[in-house]
Amino acid sequence: MTFAQAVRAPQVRRVQHRPHRQAVPHHRGAPRRAAAGQVRTTSWEIRSFLLASGVIVGCFLLVLLYLAQATAVSAAGYEAQRLAAQRDELRRQNALLVIESARLDSPARVETEAQRLGLVRAATIGLVGPEAVAATR
Amino acid sequence: MTATISHTRLRVLFAFFAVASLLLSARLAYWQTVGRADLLSRATDQVHSDLVVPAQRGVIRDRNGAILATTVDLRSLYAIPGLMTDRDGNDMRPAVATALAPILGERPEVLRAAFDSGAEWLFVRRRLPEETAARVAALHLAGLGFEMEPKRLYPNGAVGAQVLGFVNDDGVGQYGVEGRYATELSGTPGRLVVARDPANRELALGLRTAVPAKNGDDLSLTIDLAVQNAVERELAAVVEREKATGGAIVVLDPKDGAVLAIASSPTYDPARVGSADAEALRNRAISWTYEPGSTMKAITVAAALDKGVVTPSTSYQDVGYAVIGGRKLCNAQCKVYGPTTVTQILSRSQNAGAVFVASKLGASDLNAYLKSFGFGQRTGIDLAAETSGIVRPLAEWYPVDLGTISFGQGLSITPLQLASAYAAIANGGTLYQPYVVASRRDADGEHRTAPVAVRRVISEETSATLVTMLTTTVDNGIANLAALKGYSVAGKTGTAQIPSDDGRYVDDAYISSFAGFVPAIDPRMVVVVVLDRPQSKLLGTVPAMNTFKAIATDALRYARVQPDRP
Repeated sequence: MTFAQAVRAPQVRRVQHRPHRQAVPHHRGAPRRAAAGQVRTTSWEIRSFLLASGVIVGCFLLVLLYLAQATAVSAAGYEAQRLAAQRDELRRQNALLVIESARLDSPARVETEAQRLGLVRAATIGLVGPEAVAATR
Repeated sequence: MTATISHTRLRVLFAFFAVASLLLSARLAYWQTVGRADLLSRATDQVHSDLVVPAQRGVIRDRNGAILATTVDLRSLYAIPGLMTDRDGNDMRPAVATALAPILGERPEVLRAAFDSGAEWLFVRRRLPEETAARVAALHLAGLGFEMEPKRLYPNGAVGAQVLGFVNDDGVGQYGVEGRYATELSGTPGRLVVARDPANRELALGLRTAVPAKNGDDLSLTIDLAVQNAVERELAAVVEREKATGGAIVVLDPKDGAVLAIASSPTYDPARVGSADAEALRNRAISWTYEPGSTMKAITVAAALDKGVVTPSTSYQDVGYAVIGGRKLCNAQCKVYGPTTVTQILSRSQNAGAVFVASKLGASDLNAYLKSFGFGQRTGIDLAAETSGIVRPLAEWYPVDLGTISFGQGLSITPLQLASAYAAIANGGTLYQPYVVASRRDADGEHRTAPVAVRRVISEETSATLVTMLTTTVDNGIANLAALKGYSVAGKTGTAQIPSDDGRYVDDAYISSFAGFVPAIDPRMVVVVVLDRPQSKLLGTVPAMNTFKAIATDALRYARVQPDRP
C-alpha cells in the first residue's frame, strides 16, 4: 500500500458500506465476515500510517534536537572564541601597562626626572650599623 | 468526486523518478568513492586553516626582578590599495595617504608612492606604538588593516643593551643574552588546524588539531639594574669628557663571578638597532682586546709571591730601566727610584721593578700563571661573541717578552678577563667563571645557575698579601685618586701603548685603565674601567680612577655596605 492509498482508505470505506447493507439484506453472514476483514485491513492501515508518521515525526524531532545541539555548540564556540580574543587583548593591554610601569621605574628615567626637578646627589650618607642600633635600645 | 490517474501516466512518472534516482545515486556513489578524495580536499581547503601558533619569547629580568626585556604583540598596519575606494568607486589613495602621513610622521608622497607601487598588499608600518595604532584605527580609512606581530621591548632603553643584545625582525636573538640564550628564550611554536566559517571564525564543530606552543624560558640575570645604570652613566660621561674612542666597564661580584654590570662605549639603543654603527654593536668588555699595561703588574707580583721567589719587602736597586733580551725597558718617563721594595713596585708602578720580579719568576712560570689566571682563553661567560685575547705560547716568547709582559705589553686581554683575575685576587685566590644568567624558569620550575670555581690560582696567603699591597697602592701610591672616604680600596692603574698594524706602537695614544675592588677586606665588587685613547693620554688613569670612584660610591650606597674605615 502506498502512502496515498493509506491516506484515502477511510473515505473509500464510507462509500462502499452503504450499498452493501441495502443490496444484500438476506445474506447477513458473508457481509459480516467481509466487513470484519475490511475492519482488520483498515485497522492495519491506520496502524501502519500512525507508525510511519511516528517514525517520521520521531526522526524529525531527533534531527531537530541534533540541529539545536549543534547550533548551541557552534554558538558557544563563537562565544568562547570572542571571549578568548577579549582575554588575549586584555593580556596584551596588561603587558603594555607592565612595560610602561617598568619604563617609569627605570633608574635612568628617575635620574633624569630628578635632575629636571633640581634634586642633587647627597654629599654624604650616614649609615647606622646594627651595633649602633642595638646600643640605642 | 474521485480523481483517477491512468496507469500509463503512473508508469511514466515511476520510470522517470526511477531513472532520476538511479542517476542521482550513481552520481552520489561516484562522489563517495572515486571522487571522494578530490571533493574532500576541496572542501577541506575551503574551511580549514593550518596555523603556526607562535611561542611567547621569554622575559629577561635583573637580579631584583625588574624587567629588562619582554615581548608584546603590537599592531602592524597593512594596506590593500585596491580597496581604497569610496562607495561610488572613486580612488581614495591620495586622501588615505594625506590622512595617514601626519600620524606616522611620514610625507604623504612617500605613502602615496607605496600605494601606487602596484602591490596588492603591503605593510605600511610594522609594530606601531599603541597610541599611533589607536589613532590610525580611529580614522576608519578604507583599504587599511592591522595584523598583530610580536615586538621585543626594552623598557630601560639603551641601559644594558650590551648585555642583553637584541632581537631582529625575524625574531632571532643577536648578541648578548638574547643571542647566547636564543634557543631557551624563543621556545617552540605550536600548531593549530581548525575549520573556519566564511567570516574566518573558528568552528567549534569539526576538525580541530592543536599542538600547544611551548613558551620560551624566563631568565633572571645577575645584573643589577641600578648598578648597570650607574656604570653606563659614568662611562658615557667619561668618554664624552675625555673624547675617548671608546671604553668598557665591568663590575663583578668577586665571591662567585656574578656580573653586576657590563658597559661598553660606543653603544646602541636596542629599539633602533638598524641605525646603529657596527662598532657600537660590539661589547668591548668581552669582544675587544687591548694591551693592559700596568694593571698586569699585580698579576706578575701575585705569581712571584705565590711561587715564593719574592716577598713584599724584597728589594732591588732601581736605576730607571731594566735590560732584558738585549732591550732596555724604562720606567714611565725613565724615572729613577733607587732602592725599591716589591710593594713599592706596585704603588709606584715601576716597569723596571716588574721586570725584576718577572726575572726572579722566570718565563715558564709567568706564562703558566697567566694561563692559570685565565688570560689567553675565553672566560666562558654566558654571552655571545666572547673573544679569548692573545697570550703567545711560551715557545714563541722572545727573551724581551718576559720583561714586557710583566708590565702588560705584548699580550692582549679583554676587560672581563682582567676583572675575573682581580676577582680571584680579591676572594682569596679562586678563579670563578663569570656569568650573567642567575636562573632560568621553564615549565618545570626554576633552575638556578651554580657558580663555577674554575681553579685556585694563588694561595689565600698570597691573596691576602697582595690585597694589602694593592690597598697601599691606593692609600699611598699611584692610585690614590681611587681612594674612597669610609672604605678601603685595593687597586692598580694601567696605561698601555696601542699596537698598530705594522707591529709598532701608535704615537701619543694610550689605553688607560683602573682595576680595583672595594672594600679591600671582604670585597663586594671588582670594578675594571678601561678607556680607549682618552685625551688625557698619559694621565688617562685619572679619569679612569674618578670613574671607578663614582661607580663604587653609588654601588656601595645602593647596596648599603657598611663603611670599614672611620
